[in-house]
Amino acid sequence: MNHSTVRMVLPLLGLVFCVMPGRSQVSYDRILKASEEPQNWLTYSGSYKSWRYSTLDQINVSNARNLGVQWAFQSASLGQFETTPLVIDGVLYGTGQDNRAFALDARTGRPIWRYQRRLPDKVQACCGMVNRGFAALGETLFMATLDAHVVALDMKTGNLVWDVAAADYRESYAFTVAPLVVKDKIIVGVAGGEYGVRGFIDAYYADSGKRAWRFYTVPGPGEPGHETWEGDSWKTGGAPAWITGSYDPELNLIFWPTGNPSPSNNGAQRKGDNLYSSSMLALDADTGKLKWHYQFTPHDLHDYDATQIPVLLDAPWQGQMRKLLLHANRNGFLYVLDGTNGELLSAKPFFPRLTWAKEIGSDGRPVVLPGSEPTAEGTRTCPGALGATNWFSPSYSPQTELLYVAVAEECDVFTNAPQKYHEGHDFLGSVYVAVPREKPWGALRAFDPFTGEQKWEFRYFSPPNGGCLATAGGLVFAGDSDGNFAAFDARTGENLWHLQLGAAVYSSPITYSLDGKQYIAIPAGGTLFVFALPGGAAK
Amino acid sequence: MSSACLCIGEAVKVILMDTSHNPSSRRFTSRLVISISVIFFANSLASALGQEKEVQNPLTGDPAAIKEGASLFRANCSPCHGLNASGGGRGPDLRTGDWVHGGSDAAIFRTINDGVPGTEMPANPFEDSEIWALVAFLRSVSSGAKTPVSGDAARGERLYWGKSNCAQCHMVKGRGGRLGPDLTRVGAARSVAYLIESIREPSKDLSLGMTDPNNHYVYPLEYETVTAVLADGQRIVGVAKNEDAYSLQLLGQDQELHLFLKKDLREVLHERRSLMPAYTEAVLSDADLRDLLAYLTGFRGEQK
Repeated sequence: MNHSTVRMVLPLLGLVFCVMPGRSQVSYDRILKASEEPQNWLTYSGSYKSWRYSTLDQINVSNARNLGVQWAFQSASLGQFETTPLVIDGVLYGTGQDNRAFALDARTGRPIWRYQRRLPDKVQACCGMVNRGFAALGETLFMATLDAHVVALDMKTGNLVWDVAAADYRESYAFTVAPLVVKDKIIVGVAGGEYGVRGFIDAYYADSGKRAWRFYTVPGPGEPGHETWEGDSWKTGGAPAWITGSYDPELNLIFWPTGNPSPSNNGAQRKGDNLYSSSMLALDADTGKLKWHYQFTPHDLHDYDATQIPVLLDAPWQGQMRKLLLHANRNGFLYVLDGTNGELLSAKPFFPRLTWAKEIGSDGRPVVLPGSEPTAEGTRTCPGALGATNWFSPSYSPQTELLYVAVAEECDVFTNAPQKYHEGHDFLGSVYVAVPREKPWGALRAFDPFTGEQKWEFRYFSPPNGGCLATAGGLVFAGDSDGNFAAFDARTGENLWHLQLGAAVYSSPITYSLDGKQYIAIPAGGTLFVFALPGGAAK
Repeated sequence: MSSACLCIGEAVKVILMDTSHNPSSRRFTSRLVISISVIFFANSLASALGQEKEVQNPLTGDPAAIKEGASLFRANCSPCHGLNASGGGRGPDLRTGDWVHGGSDAAIFRTINDGVPGTEMPANPFEDSEIWALVAFLRSVSSGAKTPVSGDAARGERLYWGKSNCAQCHMVKGRGGRLGPDLTRVGAARSVAYLIESIREPSKDLSLGMTDPNNHYVYPLEYETVTAVLADGQRIVGVAKNEDAYSLQLLGQDQELHLFLKKDLREVLHERRSLMPAYTEAVLSDADLRDLLAYLTGFRGEQK
């Protein structure tokens, strides 16, 4: 073969390889239509609407009792394994604790590559050295790291493509979030609300790592909202943004929630509403400009982060088609907002024992109950500091038109104390402690989001740290803090199957399919478990 | 069952705050390593010279420092040691003047800064001045010397193993029953006031059970009374070693493990009370109580 022949044949071979083994390029168009390829799991919440719902139905109410482990993957750390894996054309991509990541053959669980970004000694992440997962675009994966970098990895090898520092980890900035890809950009939100950071949401160009925009969740001097912070308190105001937002391509808006103001328990140090803490933000995806905001808990004193997944739903509301945003908030209310303008449409308690607010008034502000604020001696307030729910994902099923939420039934005693800010130190304004003689518990609950009515409940022995997945098989999957992973009838809540995984579940499940076989994946402890029905593809 | 057992509970049940269970070594600053090295150096120099002098807290008795120390304590230490340093689910009472890991200013500084290997006390990334403020605060709430117990320990020992029946449910260095908490270290870990409360009113505050090293957010089980009602109506009463939505691992009053699937049970009842009977004055006179306390406060485990 002479050189000219090689030149002619090689591009043809390249063409064949590019086209044949299943489109390994994750285009923006594929992410837009992610729910049309349920064999894959292309984004953190399964789709831009963040339903964490799949149309796969091979595993269903009639056969879920037969589920068994197909394979398991042991990562290197025990504890809080919070990743939501992505599955792209037969490969599963996950992140672990301590800046670890991996790619696995999704059929066998065999590792293809492993990655770890060295963790500096002084990294602070309040609630574990965790990471919640990758985002993918093209042939690149994007991971936001504990030391506040964003890294791009080659999908096939795990090789580093680019690496940018978003902030200085020595000032307690950290990332735990799974990024969100929108068009040509990678969106991330920072953590550090326990250390007095100034929160932000960043967008980076996927190809270069160059920052496209930054939105500070605590407005600086001269910016609207700055007046809601007393004195210099804005500089250490918190309002982190550590859970993945949702995106509406028609509005070109990113919906991204924010966490508590700092110091969380001692409001006297930060008088005012403290915008944009504990809020939902609607940002222009191209520019990062704020379109609207809604603050769920103005001047939050109880660590009621709003860092719960916003679920987007185009549906009629009181006879009129609206772009609805559903949000089960840590403060105990299930909100329905209009995604176009942030108008409050409804706020119903999904945690019956609320003691901090009577209701959400027609002006959109909570009617705060007297005597609920933290004191030096401590005040019992419900929900507790970890919230009625938390970062773990809810699910929305279009089959049942129900929203599934894991709920923690617990209260706490909140104390406060003045605290000086020290760079790199906890900045909480005191602590919360468990209420003596009150045993907390948890539940998986199904709600009609239009009325707020609870349709069913399955009781957990302990408050949960894991979210759920709904499927067209009429099922909801969820894991509990006592180490059980379970399948429920999405209509009735009947518990159809469970397996003890040996460690608390700190994540939300996903599903995918290969060779006509449906799989369910959930991390627990240090292990990623993958389940399927026995035998081959039983169609 | 007429078991007479003694349950030592905790004054404040605490779930660790998000921030409190970080592997603190990560936050250990090199500056503190240097400063503590200086202290060690000073100590070894002092001992080399045959002197007893150790580093003293420059802030002892300083009202502003005590106030700052109180705030620091509430924010950082109270999750384990209780809101008023009176002891919690994981940490001992710090008011007794009885410093298990050394009671000099330098030793307390070192305990706070370095933590205590082999226990749940972590290293802490405070500034030196903050540690001294904490020491000043602790001195202000501590009685300054081990509380003397006036009773007769030898007589207390006879009560413990005899008439008062404590050993039926509580193990000390491998001897005794297993239904209640092990008391091998209780004299070092709890205040006398707390021991009295636990004897007179055992249900007032329940002891914590097993913790899960992989899950800092889950509440440990407590020594509450759990009753498994079997399908045939038979009741087995005991303490839950563990429980979830599907199963129950019960240590019965017969001191045997009973392992149930909840689907096989008619009901599981939880009562927020201890299985230990209250040792009121009618059962245990004040004089007997003093003798028993004199014996219990000697339960110091292997620690000095």
